[in-house]
Amino acid sequence: MNSQKTLCIILLAISTIAILACLVINFEAWIVYTVAIFGIPLWVLSLGLLTMAKPRPEDAEERVKEPFTGY
Amino acid sequence: MNLMAEILIQVIIAFLAGSLLLGLHRKIMARVQKRPGPPIVQHLIHSLKFFFKETAIPKTVSKVFYIGIVFILALIWIVGVIAGPVAHDSLLIIFGVYAVYKIVEHNSGSSSGSPYGKLSCVRAVLSAATELPLFAAIVFVYLIVGSMNIGEIIAYQSIHGALIFKIPLAALMFFMLIITKSPYSPFAITKDKVLISGFETEHFGFLRGFMLFSESIAWYVLLWVFLTIFFGPLNAVGYLIGMIAITFITGFINATTPILSPNHSVMTQITIGAICFFGTIIMIFSGVVV
Repeated sequence: MNSQKTLCIILLAISTIAILACLVINFEAWIVYTVAIFGIPLWVLSLGLLTMAKPRPEDAEERVKEPFTGY
Repeated sequence: MNLMAEILIQVIIAFLAGSLLLGLHRKIMARVQKRPGPPIVQHLIHSLKFFFKETAIPKTVSKVFYIGIVFILALIWIVGVIAGPVAHDSLLIIFGVYAVYKIVEHNSGSSSGSPYGKLSCVRAVLSAATELPLFAAIVFVYLIVGSMNIGEIIAYQSIHGALIFKIPLAALMFFMLIITKSPYSPFAITKDKVLISGFETEHFGFLRGFMLFSESIAWYVLLWVFLTIFFGPLNAVGYLIGMIAITFITGFINATTPILSPNHSVMTQITIGAICFFGTIIMIFSGVVV
């Protein structure tokens, strides 16, 4: 398991727990706002980085090559 | 209702409604141009489909910046949902969200190694210089209502009537901003097709899906703010009709207007903005607006 996948699983777990905690417990408004503002995008981002398809190993190098190198 | 539950429901509504409205926008443009066009749900399906598409991070990008900017794009529009539909808080927060959105456009382009992204990043600065003054229409709302708080603006309109009848030119300024934000807009110089997809060119696969998610929410929030501050207290049906009507109008305008070159776009926006700005000042100080 690579480091990106591990990090995504940890972030997904943290954001899920934080959001669920705010759903179950009535925290103060500023705590809920903070969790929502950071937790929801983090949840979508980490879920997406886990669900996205990865290129096949033999194609990986070709995929990251940039045809344009700037001006 | 639990506050987090309310936020989650509003974010989901914003995403679904925004996606369907953008799908409708595309459909209207197609029908005006005598094409069948994709189904209305296509934008929503695209957003979800991209989450499972093959994604690779190009060598030339700044990786943390490249991923982080997509995260920030979602973050700011969730702030927009909270400050608007959830908390009915200050319009200044929404203005701040839009200002940061322009910075995100700029940085999204500059985080990629592509010249298309970089050109779009330069144009984002130009467009910010005209779009943020258009957002200044909220100053006139403040002059009339005496508050920037959305809840108080709604309360004022429930007593004195919708603000669009008092300051129509300010409403037109804000509407110009909505036209600018709509897809294929004549003023969408950051997403001009000569730049492929502009600042989004290098964000593909899942990251593009995440951007579409945020842009659906952005469209919903902007329409919600426009309807709320100029059309008074509306119920869910009123918002639905209003949002569909605005999507129809922008769809017709965008289908029949080519994308302007950056200098023409900026001058047109500045001219319309200036006419509306000084027109509203004259209306207020000559006593037309009571």
